[in-house]
Amino acid sequence: MMKGKRVLIINRGEIAIRVAKALNELGLVSVGVWTDNETEPPHLEFCQEWVHLAGNNNKETYLDIPKIMKIIEDYKIDGVHPGYGFLSENREFSETLAKKGITFIGPNPEAVYKMGAKDISKQIAKEAGVPVVPGSTGEIESTEEAIKIAKDIGYPVLLKAVAGGGGKGMRPVFSDDEMKAGFEAVRREALSSFGYAGLLVEKYILNPHHIEVQILADKKGNVFHVFERECSIQRRHQKIVEEAPSPFIGTDEKLRQEVCETAVKCAKAVNYDSAGTVEFIMGEDKKFYFLEMNTRIQVEHPITEEITGVDLVANMIKAAFGEKLDFEKQSDIRIQGHAIELRICAEDPISMLPAPGKIAGFETTFPQGIRFDHCIYPKFMITPDFDPMIGKLIAKGLNREVAIRKVRSALDGLTIEGLKTNIALHKVILREETFIKGDYSTAYISKIKPQDKVSKKEEMEAFMLKVAAIELNAGEL
Amino acid sequence: MRYYFVNQDMEEFHLDVEKNGETNLLFKSDSQEKKLHLKKLAGKNYYSFDGIAWKKLTSLGVNETLVSNSETYKVYRGFKPSGLNKGGAGSLITQMPGKIVKLMKKVGDNVVKGETVLILEAMKMENEIKAGVDGVIKSISVSEGQALEAGFLMAEIE
Repeated sequence: MMKGKRVLIINRGEIAIRVAKALNELGLVSVGVWTDNETEPPHLEFCQEWVHLAGNNNKETYLDIPKIMKIIEDYKIDGVHPGYGFLSENREFSETLAKKGITFIGPNPEAVYKMGAKDISKQIAKEAGVPVVPGSTGEIESTEEAIKIAKDIGYPVLLKAVAGGGGKGMRPVFSDDEMKAGFEAVRREALSSFGYAGLLVEKYILNPHHIEVQILADKKGNVFHVFERECSIQRRHQKIVEEAPSPFIGTDEKLRQEVCETAVKCAKAVNYDSAGTVEFIMGEDKKFYFLEMNTRIQVEHPITEEITGVDLVANMIKAAFGEKLDFEKQSDIRIQGHAIELRICAEDPISMLPAPGKIAGFETTFPQGIRFDHCIYPKFMITPDFDPMIGKLIAKGLNREVAIRKVRSALDGLTIEGLKTNIALHKVILREETFIKGDYSTAYISKIKPQDKVSKKEEMEAFMLKVAAIELNAGEL
Repeated sequence: MRYYFVNQDMEEFHLDVEKNGETNLLFKSDSQEKKLHLKKLAGKNYYSFDGIAWKKLTSLGVNETLVSNSETYKVYRGFKPSGLNKGGAGSLITQMPGKIVKLMKKVGDNVVKGETVLILEAMKMENEIKAGVDGVIKSISVSEGQALEAGFLMAEIE
């Protein structure tokens, strides 16, 4: 029996609220935590029990396994939901819980481990017959060797520093001549930037699309897909706008089936038994390759919930406690309509860098049917301790056009005062032609540069509103 | 009442505001004059520029910062910040927020370098604010007991 089980949410912000809602709805006891660097977290409003997780930084709190285990013992916790980030994909944590007989609301530790290690996950995908980005199997020693591999997989290729990451230490190469000119240069760059000269050669996918498939599996061996999402609009390799279904796949149902079934294959290869996401990179030629699998609930899960009606978080909890899912077979899950999610972040809309601050006002006037998953309240302090994402604005429409119309209107009705947010950037994106056509790739931000079109408010009016608020607050009116 | 807005680049803007009827405000900048209508509805404040189209006023008016997209302004109510005075050795500017405890000099007094002009309480300590140059007190823009922001011009010596 799952009812009455006590579940500790070892997370904060909007995802802790989302999880608490699902726990309450299912008749479980939601236990939330507060820390010394966030003593009034808004998620506790949705939690039935509150526990102090002592500590002033994430290392002492949300990442401190022994401290969390002590709380689990003291408060007689039956299960743990990790949310995303923090310990959600930590093998040691899921193993420690398993040893103590505590239910981890996520996949089995083996799946966390296998999909967490990049080289192992690629190997597993390959063995399962899932395409991975073609390239060298190990480090390349010479220009000749690089040219040979480039010939095998076809230009363009990407020279990639083994020690690189976050988009650094990479160079696309389009011909033998360029390879001859560039190989040693990239090696030197890698050595000076990362202290290690090792290079890999990989197929370079021009204007790629980030397509991911939502997986939902139970402990009885059933693995379902809940269709795909496209998350190609990214800055600093982080998504800011997500859509479901993918506008790039569009009406190509054959391709959609192929992508989704391939994801199921990946999940089955690691005996997956929870909610998770298989990420692919798709080229302009619609060929797609396995990138990685995220073994947790993802930030952008709501758009999938909106177009399918499947409550992913509730089903993830049911799966973890060995319960039946809300549906029986794959054909029970169907796409209806289109959903778009905008990540609302405390950051400069032009430089796109985090800008912590204090919320001096928050109001919403939304059109019908808007979902806003957030942790914003007036006087809320956004500190550099946590991710700058403070909310997710989600709109569903009968089709993509309607979803855009709704999310645009919602954005116009969302005002957050007192700190910088990327609302102004989203306003530009939603009125930009490439986006409206659904014809964008992961190069969107760097090519279209919507951040350059962020306009400044007319100063006089902004000044007037601020003055009016101060006068009203001071009781002068 | 005059409001001052100073952005990151220390550019200063000001706006005069006065009551216009029971609930309306009249704003004057150097170049224009504008009216703002205000109305309370279901516990919330609404504003209108023309008295016809209304919108919710979001700001609580609690912090002294205004963010307009990518610009951030410090907002000062009723007093002039030191923004444009840049502050040479003759300008006494608060380095941190504080409160004026005592004024030791008045406008027109002669001072020598190192002489205490006023006492400022900051970080729970009383600090003697001394003249940086020899001269005459040209202006004092604070009074005893006044709480100050950092960067505020308290007095000028000429």
